[in-house]
Amino acid sequence: MPTSIRAVIGSTLVFLVVGFLALLAIVGMTFWLGERAQRYFDSAVEARDTSGAAVALRSAVQTAESSQRGFMVGGNEIYLAPYGTSKTRAQRQLDVLKVLLASHPETQIPLDHLQSLVSAKFEEMDQTITLKRARHDDEAMALFQTNKGKALMDEANVFITGIVRQADERLTAGVEEQRVNALWLRVVSAIGALVIVGVVGATAIVLLRYTRELSGARDEVRGLNSVLEQRVVERTAELTGARDRAEVLLSEVNHRVANSLAMVSSLVILQSKAIADPAAKSALAETQDRIFAISLVHRRLYGSSDVRAVMLDEYLTGLLDHLKTSMRGDRQSTTLSYDLAPVQLGTDASINLGVVVTEWVTNAFKYAYPLGSAGEIRVRLRPLPEGRAELVVEDDGVGRTEGAPAKGTGLGSRIVTAMAQGLGGTIEYEERAPGLLARISFATGAPAEKPAQ
Amino acid sequence: MRGHSMTGWHSAAMALGLLAALLAPEVALGQDGPPGITAPRVFAPFDPAAPACSVPKGLTRVLGHVQENDREFLEGVNHGLAMAAADRGLEYRRALADSDAARADAQIRTFIDANVGALVATSSDPAVVRHSLLEAIRAGRFVGTIVPPPATLLLNAPQYATGKALTDVAVDYINSKLGGKASVVLLTQDSMQYLSPRFVAMRDGLTALPGVSIVADIAPSPVTEEGGFATMTTILQANPDIDVVLGADAVVLGALKALRSAGKARPDQFIGGIDGEPEAIAEIKQGNSPYKASIALSSPVFGYAMGEYAADWLDGKSVPQAMDILPIALTHDNIASYEADLADPASVFRDPVRRAAYLRMYGNICYDTREQFVDFPWSSETVF
Repeated sequence: MPTSIRAVIGSTLVFLVVGFLALLAIVGMTFWLGERAQRYFDSAVEARDTSGAAVALRSAVQTAESSQRGFMVGGNEIYLAPYGTSKTRAQRQLDVLKVLLASHPETQIPLDHLQSLVSAKFEEMDQTITLKRARHDDEAMALFQTNKGKALMDEANVFITGIVRQADERLTAGVEEQRVNALWLRVVSAIGALVIVGVVGATAIVLLRYTRELSGARDEVRGLNSVLEQRVVERTAELTGARDRAEVLLSEVNHRVANSLAMVSSLVILQSKAIADPAAKSALAETQDRIFAISLVHRRLYGSSDVRAVMLDEYLTGLLDHLKTSMRGDRQSTTLSYDLAPVQLGTDASINLGVVVTEWVTNAFKYAYPLGSAGEIRVRLRPLPEGRAELVVEDDGVGRTEGAPAKGTGLGSRIVTAMAQGLGGTIEYEERAPGLLARISFATGAPAEKPAQ
Repeated sequence: MRGHSMTGWHSAAMALGLLAALLAPEVALGQDGPPGITAPRVFAPFDPAAPACSVPKGLTRVLGHVQENDREFLEGVNHGLAMAAADRGLEYRRALADSDAARADAQIRTFIDANVGALVATSSDPAVVRHSLLEAIRAGRFVGTIVPPPATLLLNAPQYATGKALTDVAVDYINSKLGGKASVVLLTQDSMQYLSPRFVAMRDGLTALPGVSIVADIAPSPVTEEGGFATMTTILQANPDIDVVLGADAVVLGALKALRSAGKARPDQFIGGIDGEPEAIAEIKQGNSPYKASIALSSPVFGYAMGEYAADWLDGKSVPQAMDILPIALTHDNIASYEADLADPASVFRDPVRRAAYLRMYGNICYDTREQFVDFPWSSETVF
């Protein structure tokens, strides 16, 4: 199952929380155990002091007893040297015990009992010493032989042992608690460390898996891209081939159309030669020019890489050169000049414009300069703002008389009008006196600059 | 349970016996006849195959028993003696002294006057009966006494062994049931010096265990159940948690009552005593009582042995000069077999193995060597 980024973030957060809690547990446990260790330390010091005071009390009483017995046996006062000191020391240790055991109410009764025993013991020793000093040896010995002193000492020992033992038990319990605490700390630390290691490991595994899956996905995308690119290349190659084949086919079509139109033009010429009627010949000649104009478009398309548009300057140059050649036989003195800006126009519109130019130039050749007068026919093509262009054919001839009958059949004017409509253009005729200016403005639908070849 | 408590009787007898022994030389000097063995010595083990002696002359085959009182322990002696007399064809006569030494002395004299051949006596005051006993011995009679001399057969209980028997059981219990750790109370008896070996044995055994702490080593006063109760009550003030209590049955029973009264008695405690008191035996029989053991001296068995040796004496045979009454640690596990032995001491005596568990005999004496009677406070544990 693939790992989502959401799952990665979610699991990482969970792991972080678990790790944090583990760390919190370790730190909390450490603080808690530290607090307990401090309490144990205080208790241990108190227990040690208690035990020490109890042992010191026993030692003081025993020293006093030894002193008393030495005096009883030898009657030498020197034995009593430590007696008084021991008595004072015993009382001082009893006072110390009272202070130390004040926080242990259960020890108050035994402590009171111990005090009374110690007092009785010293009283018994005092009595024997007094009797001995008074040389009442028999009475002293009789008192001694009652075993009262031993019984008191034995009983006092019971209480002293009890105090020492309870202090030792507190110490032992504290040590045991510290041992358990240390064990707990080790266990919690070990568990916490394991949890943290587990969390880090789990996070690393999740990230590793995610990274691996990302890498896999990237490799997969790269593979898919590679396949896609390969397919694009193949498809492009296929399209390029198809385009090339289409272009070849279109070129071939244009070639054939051009050839067919040339053949038709040739047939029209042949027909014209077979006809004697000058009017008919003229009509056929015009028709042949019109056909040429059309075929010239196809001829250009045949050699062009773009069949949708035609550069008018190139196209019209060829057309005008052709007209200049074909018309020169009839009108040697008429010259044809042109100034053609590089304007691109759609293929169909170019044909229409070519036909219009043919009509206007042919008419100018035929009618502007009658009776062999010399003159110039000028053709200009220039781009206009807003994607339009203007083509002007002008001459300096006789011009057109208002209301005069048409000099030809009028077919040419109809053709021009039809072509201009097909072109979407606007025709204007302007008497220049002398001369006539025919203008057509049209939308080019393309930038006015000549594309780079 | 019959005849295995020596607490009061045994203690008093021993104390008086010691006193009598101290006075013995002066008394002997004022009497006719040999003084007997008055200086302490170690006797060789009894030799059953020792040469026979003469049969006592002019004495009747009667076994007289002057019994101090009718306590169970002494009744056990009576039982053993009666069985032995019956088994050996002796006439058995018993006289109860009701703890009256003078009466006991008079009863001894009555037996002497009746010319009885064998005499067993116990008295609350050995010094009072001493003269009569010496007279009986010198007249060739078999005289058996329990603890105090003089006697042709003196019985005693080895005190160190007695204390050690109880301590061994306690040590086993501490090791097996208490994990080697225990807070121990020793209830001693300061008023009876001769019993001190018991407590020496207890201290020797317990101090060998590193986990044992003797929290009280104290002598209750008086040495009674009440004294034990009072002392234990005091001890509990200082040491509330006690695991083991050892001492004589009487004071230990009092200590057990104090533990129960304070709510500190537990089934896993070890309370053990010496003397085989009936109340202690009853506690042991319960099974779940803290009272786990009591050291008993089988009075019917040694009574039977004394009866047997009295008969042997009258038959001219050699008999022991002294006899140890070996301590038996009674526990819940062995008490039934022990009671069976008490009921039939004759079979115990005839079985050397079983007899050795109860008795150990020392020295040899017979009618012809009766001047070697024992007249000192003999103990097999005396070290020279």
